[in-house]
Amino acid sequence: MIAGLLGQINPGLLLVLVGFSACLIPVQRVRQAIVVATPVVAILLLALAERGTDLATASVLGIDLVLYRVDSLSFIFGLAFLIAAFLNAIYALHTDDQLQDGMALAYAGAAVAATFAGDLMTLFVFWEITAVSSVFLILRAGTKAAYQAAMRYLGVQILSGVLLLDGLAYVYKATGSLSLDAFTSLDQPGAKFVFAAFAIKAAFPFLHNWLQDAYPKATVVGAVVLSAFTTKLAVYAFARMFPGFEILIWIGAVMTVFPVFFAVIENDLRKVLSYSLNNQVGFMICAIGIGTPLAINGAAAHAFAHIIYKALLFMSMGAVLYRVGTAKASELGGLYKSMPWTTIFCIIGAVSISAFPLFSGFVAKSMTMSAVAKEGYIIVWLMLLFASAGVLEHSGIKIPYFTFFGHDSGRRVKEAPFNMLLAMGMAAFICIAIGLPIIGGFGYGWLYNMLPCTITAPADICLASGKPIEVYNPYTLDHVLTQLQLLMFAVLAFILLKRLGLYPPERPGTILDTDWLYRRPGFGFVQWIGTVWGKAGPALTGFFAKIGAQTFEKLETTFSPRGAIAQSPITNGMAIWSAILLGIVMLVALLAG
Amino acid sequence: MTQAPERDSSGRFVKPDAPEPIPSDADIHPMSKLLFGWVSSPRTPTLVLALVILIAIILLGVDFTFNRHEYFDFANANGFYALWGFGAFALAVLSGWPLGKLLRRDEDYYGEADTTPKDVESDS
Repeated sequence: MIAGLLGQINPGLLLVLVGFSACLIPVQRVRQAIVVATPVVAILLLALAERGTDLATASVLGIDLVLYRVDSLSFIFGLAFLIAAFLNAIYALHTDDQLQDGMALAYAGAAVAATFAGDLMTLFVFWEITAVSSVFLILRAGTKAAYQAAMRYLGVQILSGVLLLDGLAYVYKATGSLSLDAFTSLDQPGAKFVFAAFAIKAAFPFLHNWLQDAYPKATVVGAVVLSAFTTKLAVYAFARMFPGFEILIWIGAVMTVFPVFFAVIENDLRKVLSYSLNNQVGFMICAIGIGTPLAINGAAAHAFAHIIYKALLFMSMGAVLYRVGTAKASELGGLYKSMPWTTIFCIIGAVSISAFPLFSGFVAKSMTMSAVAKEGYIIVWLMLLFASAGVLEHSGIKIPYFTFFGHDSGRRVKEAPFNMLLAMGMAAFICIAIGLPIIGGFGYGWLYNMLPCTITAPADICLASGKPIEVYNPYTLDHVLTQLQLLMFAVLAFILLKRLGLYPPERPGTILDTDWLYRRPGFGFVQWIGTVWGKAGPALTGFFAKIGAQTFEKLETTFSPRGAIAQSPITNGMAIWSAILLGIVMLVALLAG
Repeated sequence: MTQAPERDSSGRFVKPDAPEPIPSDADIHPMSKLLFGWVSSPRTPTLVLALVILIAIILLGVDFTFNRHEYFDFANANGFYALWGFGAFALAVLSGWPLGKLLRRDEDYYGEADTTPKDVESDS
């Protein structure tokens, strides 16, 4: 009975509530004990939840909301988020930052709650909470650069939320339901808006700059926290609503390739990891586009493994930044002499992301590669194979080599604080534990048993492609041999290029990306308009002023919150108030029963 | 290419700052000695190269001993993955030269070089 009731509490909501409350607890150890314990409690709650039914519902203004629903697709993402929240909390123990502790937990919670949302409106509400809570992780860095990046970040994230809200309004208008059933075509009402909202959060090419802009400027802890949730929530959302959309295959493939080139020349290693994050999400997006059960499993397994090893890599670079004061490759080197444990953990993260056999990346990525090949996408497959060598370059070699080995920078620092090492150690353990062959019930089976498309309890989306669900074995001689060949010859290329002096040296500098367009010419243009308007405005008297006023009036009657356009589904200020109201009602509904 | 010697504002040559001496390895972390003591040995780079070449040759050799079953015929060719891995890696790295020239600007290009977060407590 009690287990049944507890199984109805969305664990994400628990994290959000405790997270916001934790911001008010001034005593460091009390607050941190709560922040560490909450994800553990949440994992227990999740274990009690029944699969495939609506566990908590509410009806608001005649709209039926499903506040908590678990199936095998959301389970694996939610569990990965909760594990990440737990590791992050341990990683943050050395620092006394009320706001950061609380917001990190609330942010994780919002991602979990969004994952377990059973309708678009609930998804939207938590989607927005992820944006609003996470921005503090950047702001707390306290620099001017971080403040500006945080504002750009917030703008982009809110835009994603507004698009989602638009999309759900169209969906509701057309179908009378807010269900999370997968779209069948982008021409369906609202589909393009929802797609665009997800695309921003997943950092699709040309929409990706917010990620590389903000994450490297966040606090030491903040970057670790940020790496886990936002993009993978978007991956989950794509898997839920757009599986098998061919356009995703190509977008994903491009996403795996282009960051490789930026990562090669980037000097800030936390930014290199941000590009690497982009590249990894590309694999998942590509797999979702393929949409077969094998591919969906590949995306989910990759997301799970990725959340852990990417957090581990960000943790190790955070530890270096914390001790040395910089994470720039040009100023690092030789740190294995003073940070041996961090070195070991970073190497484990690096070989995991590079997908060496025996590590988590291997068992996850093989599925995606096989699924792409099986559906006959030659060019995409070759792109992914190129990107696999690229991952080895920037995350597998560049990160550990230039930080811990390479040219000795002469810096002798203390090893990372114990709590950081503990969090890294646990993450490293997971990277190995889910990557090993199955021996005595231990090994990758633990991950594979949680995948969405299992023969015993497949998620609904697994059957949509019409392809059979199969048992996959990553440890065939073919897989192991070909992957090792790819990686070892790439390592050989590294050593030879380095010896021949052909490896570009690490140099300080800002690398221009497409955000240059809006940060330089775009911003300049807006400034120019402002100047011109400032000077020309007062001169606009008489006739021009009259025309101006009339035009403005016409525009206002059309576009203002009281105008004609706003008569269509929710688009005005009411939307925000409804969302807030809805949030309160949902809270009350959940707390009441 | 050698750099022109620096001059101060009155045009006199300035003695370049001597690079800071690398601290001795006597007091490095005991765990570092245990785990990575071999790294600083002068023979290590050659040994690592030899080891990697050896592993690479073995992997290539094994490929010739059996037939793989790939979805694409060309991927069945012996050594396909070796070639692709080597080529992809070299392409990615070598593209760093022109791309660096094209895209690298000053660190404060956007006017925001102060990126060390305040929760850093470095002791170096």
